[in-house]
Amino acid sequence: MKNPVTFVSIICALFIFSLNVTASDHGLIPKSPSTSQSVTQDENDLFNDLDDEEIEVSDPIEPFNRAMFWFNDKLYFYFLKPVAKGFRYIVPEPGRESLANFFSNIATPIRAINAAFQLKFKDAGTEMGRFGINSTIGIFGFFDPAKDHLKVYKKDEDFGQTLGHYGSGSGFYVVIPFFGSSNVRDGVGLIVDSFLDPTVYIMEKRTDLAGLKLLEAVNAVSLDKDTYEGIVRDELDPYLFVRDAYAQHRAGKIKK
Amino acid sequence: MMVRKTLFLVFGSLIFLHGLAASATMTPTDQVRSAVDAVLNTLKLENLDRGAKREKIRSSLQQIFYYRAMSQRTLATNWRKASAAEKERFVNLFSRLLENTYMGKIEAYTDERVEYTGEKIKGKKAIVDTMIVTGSVNIPISYKTVLRDEKWLIYDVVVEEVSLISNYRSSYKQIVKKEGIDGLLSKMEQKIKQQESPKDQETKGQ
Repeated sequence: MKNPVTFVSIICALFIFSLNVTASDHGLIPKSPSTSQSVTQDENDLFNDLDDEEIEVSDPIEPFNRAMFWFNDKLYFYFLKPVAKGFRYIVPEPGRESLANFFSNIATPIRAINAAFQLKFKDAGTEMGRFGINSTIGIFGFFDPAKDHLKVYKKDEDFGQTLGHYGSGSGFYVVIPFFGSSNVRDGVGLIVDSFLDPTVYIMEKRTDLAGLKLLEAVNAVSLDKDTYEGIVRDELDPYLFVRDAYAQHRAGKIKK
Repeated sequence: MMVRKTLFLVFGSLIFLHGLAASATMTPTDQVRSAVDAVLNTLKLENLDRGAKREKIRSSLQQIFYYRAMSQRTLATNWRKASAAEKERFVNLFSRLLENTYMGKIEAYTDERVEYTGEKIKGKKAIVDTMIVTGSVNIPISYKTVLRDEKWLIYDVVVEEVSLISNYRSSYKQIVKKEGIDGLLSKMEQKIKQQESPKDQETKGQ
């Protein structure tokens, strides 16, 4: 059962680059869409489908954002990607996957505490249980036996989602240099989460911390299957595509 | 002679009816799975070159993707304003664009495991949930399908909470606003040319 599936599979895995939005749903399209004879009843039903909310992204600083997007694009193609390729060459895939597990495990407090902030105590417990198992049996988090053997999956939470959970809107879209897509709400979230991030306390020197974060980013890019390249190759306007995907992705996570 | 012809017709229609009955009882998950498997099997064929594989995959996709509905949902309000000729052109270009995009992706994911994690049916619509499991991440992908002529057809794909069609809708809306429907159509044409030119297989920056 190997398989590929998916379309754009990855489109969204864009995390690296993506960031944000403002959501205001409105039901699509008024009734009685069209007079064209070629439209069948089925198509009309689909057309009026309200399960499909539209997210409108507020982007008042678009020229600035596009400039930052351009900057991140160059950073990706001329720095991050070549370094990740070299890293891919030096460290075999299982090693890089273990490193990704390690980074993910060490960030547990961010997820567990934010789950608790949202009163999702079961998810917070799941996170702590995973941390216990993976830090011991999983050897300092380099392995993920909780997922591989117990089918206990990570619960992705952060402070941006906590704010959204309590009704905060996203604010306008912001592309942050180096980080990628964000918005006012998630930008605030990033700052708050940095206080919950153990690596910030472990790495006393700023430069060490930056180095560690760089390693994490390089490792993530080395494991990624050219998500961003695909977007650049296939989309009419990669900026708009990333912006809207980020908005939807975040709105979906907050709803969960 | 006559007898043979009659027999042929009878058997032919039996087989045909049987086919109909079989697809009517296929669940949305079976339908999606068989389409996905068909694509995967094509990729594994060794005696076909890349171009021939692509044509074969294209025809598999055409049987399961409901391009007209996808196009309509993507253009949304602009669909109503478009002329019949523009609609036709859009459907053709958009199908091609989706196929190229899909194929560009699928080759990278050939070796990953796909799990079918659930299915919700509501009247004539159904959602099939799948998960691509890789070494370090799980990517949830859902297929939205609608029952049409006894077959479940895909009209949207949702990856990591992101609906592909909603995403195209908002991007395309912006482009139409600035450049009109003609601008959108010519941009799509250009993109398809670029996707299909061998030179651009390796994309470098913008």
